[in-house]
Amino acid sequence: MGEKVKLIDVAKCTGCRGCQLACKQWNGLPAEQTFAAGTYQNPPDLQPNTWTLIRFQEVAAKHGVKWLFRKDGCMHCTNAACVKVCPSGALYYSDLGTVGIIHERCIGCKECVAACPFEIPRYDSVTDRVYKCDLCLSRIQADLSPACVKACPTGALTFGDKEDMLKLAYKRAKELGGDANVYGDKFVDGTHVIYVLQEKPGVYDVLPVKPRVPLSVIAWKDLLKPLSLVAAGGVLAASFLHYIIHGPKTPDEDDNHKTEGGA
Amino acid sequence: MKKGLIKATDAFERIVHWSLAVSCLILCITGLGMMFHSLNFIGTLMGGLKSLKYVHNFTGLFFILALIFTIRMWWKEAGIFSMPEDLEWMMCAGGYLWHVDKVPEVGKYNPGQKMFFLTVAFFGVIMVATGLVMWFPFSFPVALVRWMYPLHALGFLVIFAFFFVHLYLGTIGSPGSLPAMLHGWVTRAWLKKQHAKWLREMEEAGKLEVFGEEKKTAQGH
Repeated sequence: MGEKVKLIDVAKCTGCRGCQLACKQWNGLPAEQTFAAGTYQNPPDLQPNTWTLIRFQEVAAKHGVKWLFRKDGCMHCTNAACVKVCPSGALYYSDLGTVGIIHERCIGCKECVAACPFEIPRYDSVTDRVYKCDLCLSRIQADLSPACVKACPTGALTFGDKEDMLKLAYKRAKELGGDANVYGDKFVDGTHVIYVLQEKPGVYDVLPVKPRVPLSVIAWKDLLKPLSLVAAGGVLAASFLHYIIHGPKTPDEDDNHKTEGGA
Repeated sequence: MKKGLIKATDAFERIVHWSLAVSCLILCITGLGMMFHSLNFIGTLMGGLKSLKYVHNFTGLFFILALIFTIRMWWKEAGIFSMPEDLEWMMCAGGYLWHVDKVPEVGKYNPGQKMFFLTVAFFGVIMVATGLVMWFPFSFPVALVRWMYPLHALGFLVIFAFFFVHLYLGTIGSPGSLPAMLHGWVTRAWLKKQHAKWLREMEEAGKLEVFGEEKKTAQGH
């Protein structure tokens, strides 16, 4: 199967949160006690059992106030920092290009939480595991659309083949004009969740303008990790060569010492 | 124990050494189990990778304790270079790498051992500091947490490589050395070759403990 993409057209979103609820329902995620924080954004942030969330944001417009609604959740990177750091293989690339998660394999090391440039994975201290959206992998493998897309009443969410979705995204951005732009295809080798944003990326809360795999992750996994094996192997080889070329350092007059220490 | 063997280390030194060594080895092995997917099976031996994580973290706590004792015990003997003889020793690599007619005599620890001690002490502290932040990442800013992982990997790189140097020079690379850390009794010939200055100083001070001979004064720290 080819790569799949979920397209989020924020201009069409009315903030009904049908997607948020559908996600909870399909994935069997209970709601948590919440509180009024002076915003419609509820719960206040992504949680171990809230994998997608409409972020409500008020920005000053020419005349009064403008609402921005952004559906936040896993971006399903092609070059995913979380997969790179996961020690157990709990996070992995599916054959559809999305980032899957096997919760049973998660050891709760929280390395993905620190690595993710989008601040998506959430750690649950009760189960000692990390949770995030898997783009309804079981549904999309059965040729269904993700639960959030299925529930969206306005057409803000669409799901399909990567090429089709990208074409649609650019067409729509052109249609909207102004600052409208496509967000997601140009970094981390392309995400499998793509936005058509009305405003410049920097305007939206918790949305990195230039997301990338952190330099620390590259230094760690691409440089120091292989180098540690090279260093240890080099020392072993050097020791062996030292032994057969130069020989061990043996006491001169071996009066009462025989073969202690091996050799 | 044979007659004439000389006591090089006491029981306390050996216990501290092996506490650090064993905990360091367990940390290396469990760490490797989390570092490479192909070594995840090490976790299976401990009832799963999650259990391995806990073995790693709690062994780390024991390592902290052993490291504190190690530094307290050895920083004077092995943490300070005595010039100029240590420099001279280093200039000829202690006679380990090429032929040297007369290797400068050294005390209880040679400059190579001192460098090894300082490396273990320094990177040991790095491993502890980075490891603790990695254990409780939500208590620190994410920009800091992110750099703890490569630093932890760097510490592993150095310690793991040095471990094999230590293993070689403590066994077949320097015959006669291993007993110093097993039961503590070494031969006079080995001491003359490896730590002649210490042997002479101990003899002059009348502190040398020779097996089968009457002990003159107690050796201690």
